Amino acid sequence: MPDPKQALKLAVVGHTNTGKTSLLRTLTRNPRFGQVDDNPGTTRHVEGARLLVDGQAAVELYDTPGMEDGIALLDYLDQLAAPGTRTDGPERIRRFLDSPESRRRFEQEARVLHKLLECDAGLYVVDVRDPVLGKHKDELAILAGCGHPLLPVLNFTRSPEQRLTSWREALGRLGLHAIVEFDTIAPALDGEAQLYDKLALLLDRHAAPLMTLKNDVIRQRADRHADALRLIAELLVDAAALRLSCPPDHDAVQAATATLRRSIREREAACVAALLKRYNFRSHDFPAHTLPLEGERWGMDLFHPQALKDVGIHVGKGMAAGAMAGATLDAFTAGLSLGAATLLGAAAGGLWQGADKLGKRVLGKLKGYQEISVDDAVLRLLALRQLALLEALEARGHAAQAPIEIAGSPALTPQEQADPDGWRSGKLPDELLEARSQPQWSTLADNYQASARHRDVVQSLTRKLAAGHPGPMGSSAAPPGGLSF
Amino acid sequence: MPDADASGALRSPSLRAYWMAETLRLREALWGPLEDAMEVRRARAEGGEFAQRVLARARHLGRREKLDQLIQQWMQGSRLALTGLCLIALLAGAGAALGALGDGSRPVNLLLALAALLGLNILSLLFWLLSFAARTPASATWLGTCWLWLTRKLARGPDAALVPRALMEVLSRAGALRWLLGGISHALWSIALGSLVLALLGILSARRYSFNWETTLLSPDAFVTITTALGWLPAKLGFAMPSEAIIRASDGLQQLPESAQALWSGWLIACVVVYGLLPRLAGTILSLLIVKSRLAAIELDPGLPGYAELRDRLSPASENAGIDAPSGPAFQAHIQPAEHAFPLADQPLLVGIELPSDRPWPPMDLPAAVADLGVVDSRPQRKRLLDHLQARPPERMLMACDAQQTPDRGVIALLADLAGLAGRGHVALLGLGPSNAARASTWQDRLLAAGFAPEQIHTDLAPALDWLAGTPAQGREARNAHAGP
Repeated sequence: MPDPKQALKLAVVGHTNTGKTSLLRTLTRNPRFGQVDDNPGTTRHVEGARLLVDGQAAVELYDTPGMEDGIALLDYLDQLAAPGTRTDGPERIRRFLDSPESRRRFEQEARVLHKLLECDAGLYVVDVRDPVLGKHKDELAILAGCGHPLLPVLNFTRSPEQRLTSWREALGRLGLHAIVEFDTIAPALDGEAQLYDKLALLLDRHAAPLMTLKNDVIRQRADRHADALRLIAELLVDAAALRLSCPPDHDAVQAATATLRRSIREREAACVAALLKRYNFRSHDFPAHTLPLEGERWGMDLFHPQALKDVGIHVGKGMAAGAMAGATLDAFTAGLSLGAATLLGAAAGGLWQGADKLGKRVLGKLKGYQEISVDDAVLRLLALRQLALLEALEARGHAAQAPIEIAGSPALTPQEQADPDGWRSGKLPDELLEARSQPQWSTLADNYQASARHRDVVQSLTRKLAAGHPGPMGSSAAPPGGLSF
Repeated sequence: MPDADASGALRSPSLRAYWMAETLRLREALWGPLEDAMEVRRARAEGGEFAQRVLARARHLGRREKLDQLIQQWMQGSRLALTGLCLIALLAGAGAALGALGDGSRPVNLLLALAALLGLNILSLLFWLLSFAARTPASATWLGTCWLWLTRKLARGPDAALVPRALMEVLSRAGALRWLLGGISHALWSIALGSLVLALLGILSARRYSFNWETTLLSPDAFVTITTALGWLPAKLGFAMPSEAIIRASDGLQQLPESAQALWSGWLIACVVVYGLLPRLAGTILSLLIVKSRLAAIELDPGLPGYAELRDRLSPASENAGIDAPSGPAFQAHIQPAEHAFPLADQPLLVGIELPSDRPWPPMDLPAAVADLGVVDSRPQRKRLLDHLQARPPERMLMACDAQQTPDRGVIALLADLAGLAGRGHVALLGLGPSNAARASTWQDRLLAAGFAPEQIHTDLAPALDWLAGTPAQGREARNAHAGP
């Protein structure tokens, strides 16, 4: 039995420029690991990373330089073999590691083989856009000489130029039947789980820690999803509850509208930053000047009516355009126009606060003040944008270099038109309607006050969002919607 | 003393940790994240669950930012406020006793006195009980809220307002806020009622009072019923209650024996104790017990905005394990021109290097003079080609490569070897397009580094074939010359 304290060691090997470092970035969820470039020989040394479960290293992964000279190395290995003697693979590799060329022409290959000899198994990364060539077969023969199991990991499987079938056939001929498909740029939602499953089959002595790691990965994914929906729910409640009051003259209304828009924009940017952080993507993947996000739909201002139309939100006739777009102006009504249910909520909100609030509102009413709040359509847009970003983040590998883009085609997909979550049309969730009547719930407001009801509402909105977006636990292996490379 | 218990609950070390974490969370939400590399490192070194690490980070940061002193100050202020309220409660209790009984110059109206002693207390108790039925669990305790308001007034400084807000958040999240405020309210009422009972005892011991009942509308029977009903519970608890005859006689019109006055004063004190003091004491104990149990079960909500983003830094899914050795100098193949003892073969040669099998080969428009050596991919094919060229080196040779593939060290070395064997060896890159322009420049850089001249590298096959067959004009002349005589 393996020592439970000893982590399983895996060497990530393969031909040059097939995405070995990318695989490590995606598995470690660390976009800063190593160096990634579309060039041969980007990684020139072995670099390790530990995957932690509860602070303990479960698996050690080693990123190695690419094999570049397999055919010549195999020639050299033959040359090293003393005539008439039969030596096994690892012995031949060791003899090569002692040879002078292991420090010159084959220095990179020597580092790979040295590490693979130390490890329990190797992940052989394949760029399936490459044709199957003789050098790949020779390289695999040398790697197999180390005497450890090899699991081919097929990368770039989502690329249109993939040659998946010929690679599967060729690997099968070489006796490698356990194969896993893992696109490091856009991994399938259950890609990691599949990878660890296959590894556990291959390395049954290490099956237990691999299963622990797999379950941990699944749990973390679910945690991330729940946290993200919570962040979005907080944003929506903050935006829905925000009410600015202003004197009834034109200039003051304009100024208050500008303030409202600025705070909502900043709040959205803060939510985007928090989501990126939670998913461990770099904020500089999204240059500041293009925030919220790149792409037409994202670049468009939150308060522009076209932005609403583009995502299929029905814009009513009453929707103001121009300077007042996206803001709703109410005369002070002392809460009486807000509907019986919300009024009840306000009444039950504690006499102390209620009286205080009511007093202020009545005073405002007497002075003829007006209140500005965010339009329903803007709330819908906020929700749709954040949910689309969440979807993109979940489908994105940490090796991806291109900035996130949410496909901004004017024509909606049939699924989008069906509007499964009811964000494009239909009634806003009750939680947001209730938040409308509770200005002190908005953390953007000066008089923000925490209350248990606020928390309940955020939680119930989170659950509602989760029902529309079940995330990793619900629909596994769904293609990444709207992500373009 | 019950109020000592109330602030004792706030003194528990675990609550302090959560309080500090919440203060810090609110502070970072307001003014942006603090620089915390050192504190995060320490929290990670201390280990534990994610929640513990958040608390540890907050502890270290709080000490650095002197938030712990703020909390300490607030605690002192809160104790001061509580002491003040206790004093007021003591005075109010005694004052109520004096006010209700008067100076003894006039007989005391029993029911009015009881209403004066207990009315407000019973009303506020009922209100507190009713608050449980409301949808919004507001605290509904004026005294508790008053205490909070007082402590806010006593706190000074820019962050000072955050401290009580954080406490409210933590307590209400733990479900302890309403119970704590309720407990404080009950405790203050208990003190007031206790002082009231003591004052009653004192006054009734030192002064002569006569008690009676008065009515205009009701019959004496109603008064008998009320008095015995109120006296039922105290009688069960062992208080001596006036008999029906005495009650009927106490209409203020008849002379009562001294013992009857003593009985009435006992009845009054018993009613205050049983309907005022005891429920409040019970409420105090119940509230504080619930606060204690709620605080014992307190836990961090890791999904809160502000905490969620910390997860990848405090409990990373992976850590870097370092590199094996710095990268050495890269190996570079060079063209080594062979010295040929015999004249080179005239016939130009064309060879495909590692071309994918789905690329048609040889090219359609191959000039007749050119000999095609096929596609060289595997090790035996390479060996055969090198042997062939060694035996019959050509004057001109064109090597066709797939530009889509990555130019690895092995293929560059092979091209250099082949070019060294031929008189003039050129390379043609096939399949170049706008999509792989970057890859083409990598090929050119590698080939130039290996000693190829820029004119030896063709980016299209047709001009390369023209070169191979001689320039177009020369080629035609040569062919004509052959066809001529």
